[in-house]
Amino acid sequence: MSQISTGAISARLKGTGPHNSSTQARYGARMPSAKVAIFYAALIAAALIWVTPVITLILTALKDAGDFAVNGAFSLPKSIRWANFSEAWQTGVGNYFWNSVIVTGVKVPIGILIESMAAFALTHMHFRWANKVFVYVLIGLIVPIQMTLVPLTLLMNALNLIDTLTGLIILYIGFGVPFGVLVMRGYFRTLPTAIIEAARIDGCSWFRIFYRIALPLALPAVVSLCILDGVATWNEFILAQIFLRSDELRTLPLGLVQFSTQFSTQYDQLAAAVLISVAPVMLVFLLFQRYFVAGMGGAVK
Amino acid sequence: MATTTVPAEIVSAGRKRSPAPTRVRDQLRFLPWVFLAPALVIYSVVVVYPMLYSAYLSLFRWDGVAPKKVFVGFQNYVTLLTHNEVFWIALKNNAIWLVAALLVPTSIGLGLALVLNSRFRGSHIFRSIFYFPAVLSLAVVGLIWTWIYHPDLGLANQLLDALGLKFLKRNWLSDPNIAIYPVILAATWNAVGLPMLLFLAGLQTIPQELHEAAKVEGAGPLQRFWHVTFPLLRETTLIVLAITSINALKAYDIIYAMTNGGPANRTQLLSTWMYFLTYNYNEVGLGTAIAIVLFSLTLIFAIPYIRLMTRKI
Repeated sequence: MSQISTGAISARLKGTGPHNSSTQARYGARMPSAKVAIFYAALIAAALIWVTPVITLILTALKDAGDFAVNGAFSLPKSIRWANFSEAWQTGVGNYFWNSVIVTGVKVPIGILIESMAAFALTHMHFRWANKVFVYVLIGLIVPIQMTLVPLTLLMNALNLIDTLTGLIILYIGFGVPFGVLVMRGYFRTLPTAIIEAARIDGCSWFRIFYRIALPLALPAVVSLCILDGVATWNEFILAQIFLRSDELRTLPLGLVQFSTQFSTQYDQLAAAVLISVAPVMLVFLLFQRYFVAGMGGAVK
Repeated sequence: MATTTVPAEIVSAGRKRSPAPTRVRDQLRFLPWVFLAPALVIYSVVVVYPMLYSAYLSLFRWDGVAPKKVFVGFQNYVTLLTHNEVFWIALKNNAIWLVAALLVPTSIGLGLALVLNSRFRGSHIFRSIFYFPAVLSLAVVGLIWTWIYHPDLGLANQLLDALGLKFLKRNWLSDPNIAIYPVILAATWNAVGLPMLLFLAGLQTIPQELHEAAKVEGAGPLQRFWHVTFPLLRETTLIVLAITSINALKAYDIIYAMTNGGPANRTQLLSTWMYFLTYNYNEVGLGTAIAIVLFSLTLIFAIPYIRLMTRKI
């Protein structure tokens, strides 16, 4: 799916050159300029409506509580109040933020390593149970988390892992397996068997083949998965809600909902807190957006 | 070593296995399991075993603490269906949510994909803008939209004021008759990105020549959509519908962030009501029974998806 170049900057609206017949606009090609203007106007209007909630959020985070109470959310701030961010950070959001960083930072690499190993075994190791194991793993994609909560509570209780980040990370790794295997398997399948076989003939062990050949070749898929999985882990709510009890261990989504019930009237600080939690995701999205497409493409191929 | 060049697909299909040298075969018998072990063990312990154990627990009356569970057979399911009013509210809300999710974000996603599939100046910026809400957590989406629905200061009511439609103003999230719809609208904002992305990916696989040919034959844009684009998007559409419906049935955080199931349980979903019964009322049997119902519903929509994913093995 890498041909979807979301990052392409080339402007080809007119599409008259003979060289771009394959990539030129299907809709909107060779339009008269009045139509072009209407097309853009409609699209920009739609985009503005679409981002209104985010603009509201930013405006709220920048104004003080009094301004908000008088003028509501959707007005320019009378004066910009950066202190909202530092206050929110100090009221616990900083703590939630670091918890989220730890959980995501530990979960994602471990998860991708074991998912890649499994996917490699399913695609290149002449494994006769490959199809059955793959279907077994796919089931996990459709299981509602609610199906697992009660037994997991008992299990985590028995292992003394309730209210620990370690316990939460273990759960995240387990629930991440189906999607990770799906994406990595999709990519490994496209690697030519010949490369693997050549390495085999040269006497390379399977572990070396995996580590030295397959994994480096699958780097685009690894990066995609890293980003998709990172965002999903950063955003996870329900498991954190059930298995974290003490305030100082909360991750961001959980902490924010808690924050919103505790300081339900301090919209300025709450908005700043939400913005703090969204910022890393926004950054990753802007920097790596083409990997979102590639990763999703791998999942459905 | 001619045997080692046999494509993996043929070997792994398990039928036409060609004889590999004994050394290789012995090693191959257990080594894949070593590669699979970490993922399979943790997945089985964290996902599969709890799932099966939940099914078992749904046959008992239990408060989650007492050492003794009372076997009641299918009584929990009967109780849900006959004596649990909120279960029906939740089921109805899930149904509304599902229908909305199958129609609205999918159509918007398809429409946006069709428009943004062409490359024009800024098309990638528009793609980013329309996809962006999909990367936000539903808890955050819920919090943002809670402000929009704020009765006095929220954008929704201010907008109605400005448009002179005062009579439409509502206390959106506290009106028991309508509260579920504003929540669904907020969820839709988040749910459009994925279908758009998948449809864009699907559109890229359609050869431009087909469109050119149809154009030469004199087909208009609408005809080209119906007779060229749409049939070729069949598989993508199936995947989109499956994923959106599975996601719709998983909805949970956004309810928790926006209404917490209220007012008067009118915005409960099966997922949230399961949580309430289990963790607030200690009705573990009823809670797990709801989880099973939810899973069965998901299965209906997931089976075509799973079949599609495995058909290509």
